[in-house]
Amino acid sequence: MNRLPEPADAAGRRGFLVHLIQGTYALIGATLAFVVGGAVVAPSFGRRESMWLHAGDEADLSDDTPLPITLRIARPDGPSEVVDRKIVYLVKTGSQVRALDSTCTHLGCRTRFNPETKLIECPCHGGVYDVNGTVVSGPPPAPLRAMTTRVDHGKVMVQV
Amino acid sequence: MRSLVDWIDSRTGYRRLLHHLLYEELPSGTAWLFTSGSVVTLLIACQFITGLGLTMYYVPSPRLAFDSVRFIMSDLPLGWMLRGLHYWGASFLVVASVVHLLRVFFLGSYKAPRELTWLSGLTMLMVILGFSLSGYLLPWDQKAYWATTVTINIARGTPIIGEAIASLLRGGADLGALTLGRWYSAHVFLLPAVLVVLIVTHIALMRKHGISGPIEPHAGPSVLFFPWHVMKDTVMMAGVFASLITAAALFPAHLDEIANPIDASYIPRPEWYFLSLFQMLKYFPGPLEPIATMVIPGLAIGFLAMLPFVDRANGRHPFRRPRRLFTAVMAALGIGVIALTGLGLADRPPHKDRNDWGLLPIAGMLIATGEGNICIRCHENGGPAAPLAITRLSKDNEWLLSHMADPVVIAPGVRGPRDPSPPPVMSRFKAQAAVAYLKRVHAGDPIPAYVDDSVKLAALTYAETCVVCHRISGEGGTVGPDLTVVGQRRPEAEIHAFIEDPETILGEPSVMPPFGKRLKPEQIGALARYLATRK
Repeated sequence: MNRLPEPADAAGRRGFLVHLIQGTYALIGATLAFVVGGAVVAPSFGRRESMWLHAGDEADLSDDTPLPITLRIARPDGPSEVVDRKIVYLVKTGSQVRALDSTCTHLGCRTRFNPETKLIECPCHGGVYDVNGTVVSGPPPAPLRAMTTRVDHGKVMVQV
Repeated sequence: MRSLVDWIDSRTGYRRLLHHLLYEELPSGTAWLFTSGSVVTLLIACQFITGLGLTMYYVPSPRLAFDSVRFIMSDLPLGWMLRGLHYWGASFLVVASVVHLLRVFFLGSYKAPRELTWLSGLTMLMVILGFSLSGYLLPWDQKAYWATTVTINIARGTPIIGEAIASLLRGGADLGALTLGRWYSAHVFLLPAVLVVLIVTHIALMRKHGISGPIEPHAGPSVLFFPWHVMKDTVMMAGVFASLITAAALFPAHLDEIANPIDASYIPRPEWYFLSLFQMLKYFPGPLEPIATMVIPGLAIGFLAMLPFVDRANGRHPFRRPRRLFTAVMAALGIGVIALTGLGLADRPPHKDRNDWGLLPIAGMLIATGEGNICIRCHENGGPAAPLAITRLSKDNEWLLSHMADPVVIAPGVRGPRDPSPPPVMSRFKAQAAVAYLKRVHAGDPIPAYVDDSVKLAALTYAETCVVCHRISGEGGTVGPDLTVVGQRRPEAEIHAFIEDPETILGEPSVMPPFGKRLKPEQIGALARYLATRK
């Protein structure tokens, strides 16, 4: 077969076509990437809205004795729904009520309150906190996380 | 940078491959008709990419499949578009494949030495139809469930081995999780793998024998594939892609109600591309059925498969000897498919109005969400169960009804086996209404924003009394007449008198007892007022 003889301006026309072809494919690709990529990426950065939960009543708390409370946090889980359980300590010091996340700040084990020593202890690597969540000894790098708390007519509300 | 590319080329030789792929010399006169294959390729690529996105969210289990598709459609950003592209892409792909087949047929491009190219293409069409068939089971909605039931029953009609084929397709004695699992696996792993192998084979064969070119060889120089023909391909692909995006954006993919194996009122209908086969079934009842399911489709596929081996004479023109005969058969086939599809479309059953709630779900809405409702005792933020707003219905009706009668039964061991059951928290009637409401919400039907007090009273009365015998908008008993359009038959005053005492209207005793003494006058008034509006 003899090839199409390239006319004098063929190089220019050819270059234009190549750009047009590349541009069209880029546009198709970008549209698909926008739809598929958007649907893939968007939920990764979604955050659950916070809510206030009734954790306990101020009257039930005694000074400097953490009371462990299980909070049930219902949340959508993709197409399904789950109820997460989170344990917090309600601590009353004088007139102030605080809620501490019971998760050890070292490696995420669940801590326990020891009524004999009046300390919060982590069973995994021996982290010890006092009733305000401050590290007393062991590996934890930071105090127990304090959660936003308010008291409404004697009801302790915790933000999760 | 340049040296890195050179190094990669020296190790892979990709430039030579690319050159071989792009700088093919095409016969003179290769024109727009020869872009149909590229369009098919583009659509397959789109299906792969959008399918990849969908598999991240889809859950192949009867409990969650429907919810996961609903999640994609309503909660996932751009999810409706993602599914829309995949859904419409399937239809576009079937059309594009058939157009490509017709192009190859009319230009006689299948003739020797391209028999295997033709056969690989024909196999690909079957695989694409297999994709469509397995694809619409996945959402696990009514259409999915019933269309698959029909498909499996058709397969069961195969002589001798029918039962075995049906069992293999089902993966068990009944249609369910095992069926969904294997169809999902086929749709997502098996068929794509087969399709990729077939595409590579098809294109390799096409390159081996070259493009067939125009029917009569054109005098003139050959054309380079790139960029001169690629430009035509690109224009066609861009046009088809723009149409696909438009279709997906303007007509979002449909999702029926969740699959309900006991709902006999549902009339299953396949997607439009199987509608001709479906319609044909209606003309071959009983023992003749295999003619519609096996013989005629078998003959059609057999004709296509044998074509290049039968049509061996020279000459590619479709309307000249010796190809005239084959063209006539093909035209008959095409007219048959189009006519049957048209008849099938005309035979469409009435569509269910998602805004028509009838009375039972409205009563359920009042019971489940109105004042004094008891569900909220547990279904609240921080409570033992998720708030109703995010609760998904994953249990069957019986479970829901017993849960509403006795909410504790969901937690085994809470009550000892010897402890007596407490009196029901919610009566069976109320629970049925609440279930009807939850089903509507779950199906995504729009919740009525405002309900008249009179309709509220009618709804609660209906849910405790009339529902036993009478059906409205698909819910209720079937002992008495369906009241969905009773307003067409009787005016309000007549309905009112009928409820008080049917004998005054009928002139003879009726199966329906008089309700004049059992219901309060305002209840009868509300019912008659509402029913008269049902037209």
